[in-house]
Amino acid sequence: MRFSIFRYDPERDEKPYMQAFEIELKPTDRMLLDVILRIRDSQDDSLTLRKSCREGVCGSDAININGRNGLACVTPVRELKEPVELRPLPSFPVIRDLVVDMTRFYQQYHSIRPYLINDEAAPEKERLQSPEDRDKLDGSYECILCACCTSQCPSSWWNPDKFVGPAGLLQAYRFIVDSRDRATDERLDDLNDPYRLFRCRTIMNCTEVCPKGLSPSRAIERIRLKMSKVDHDEGGLALHRVPPIR
Amino acid sequence: MNRKHTGLRAWLVQRVSAVYMFLFIAFFLIHLVVAAPQQYAAWHAWITSAAMSIATSVFFAALLAHAWVGLRDVLMDYVHAATARVALLGLVGFGLTAAGVWVVRILWMRHG
Repeated sequence: MRFSIFRYDPERDEKPYMQAFEIELKPTDRMLLDVILRIRDSQDDSLTLRKSCREGVCGSDAININGRNGLACVTPVRELKEPVELRPLPSFPVIRDLVVDMTRFYQQYHSIRPYLINDEAAPEKERLQSPEDRDKLDGSYECILCACCTSQCPSSWWNPDKFVGPAGLLQAYRFIVDSRDRATDERLDDLNDPYRLFRCRTIMNCTEVCPKGLSPSRAIERIRLKMSKVDHDEGGLALHRVPPIR
Repeated sequence: MNRKHTGLRAWLVQRVSAVYMFLFIAFFLIHLVVAAPQQYAAWHAWITSAAMSIATSVFFAALLAHAWVGLRDVLMDYVHAATARVALLGLVGFGLTAAGVWVVRILWMRHG
């Protein structure tokens, strides 16, 4: 199987380039990550990438695969069109090869205060939540912060410093709908700005590429409705089938 | 202008104006198909009736507001140098205001 992989080592290369690799698939090669690791071990051990859990839980190995962001560890390799073009996440600063700098992404994530805010005296054991209220977190708590969505969002490309981005906004929604949180109005107020939420043009790349089948665009829509006080009681966000990368 | 809190307002203006424009254009076209004015006098009477004058004025107000939000969004997306953005926003604002004045002249200051 043929691969074309983005290479860049700032200490050696003047410019990034695409390097061709060819490797015969073994019956044990199921996911793209398996093959990338074999290429690295057998052909070029300077090939650099992040990975950890190898099962779509940690979100480390998000890369751009044939033009679409996804997790290498859960992308079936045999379905990919050849040569398989692998690039680092679009618009993120490249550190080396497929490894990108996530600083700005995390800054935006922190800016929505991703934790419960509740100044009421803590109960003896825990802050309870009804099963119905808990259900409202479905479809937003599952985010693994792999940055597939934000890196594929044109609004984030143009204003990465001012637009929170789909991942951050999905997390903002997760805390806005949490019945235990007491800062809902402040959170909505913070996002009601021409840039922080309203750079979203409803392009929906975020939802299309999310490897967990989440819908940041739906969360953004619900935040807008809550700001408009058109707030009817909904359950959690529905998960969708993840379109396979070809 | 207070930059804070203009996010939702602009977004609502764009949505509401879009709905109004859609309804107005649909009504306008259906009217032309179902009850097309046969000569100039009938057309003139229809278009200058109080209800139509108001509805048309609201249509152009919606159009200009819609265009303002849309162009403002484009400039905010792509023009990152603050001075250039402010200058271009001013230019767009001036152009749209001029178009608005022109619309008022045509709709309300006509002769005959």
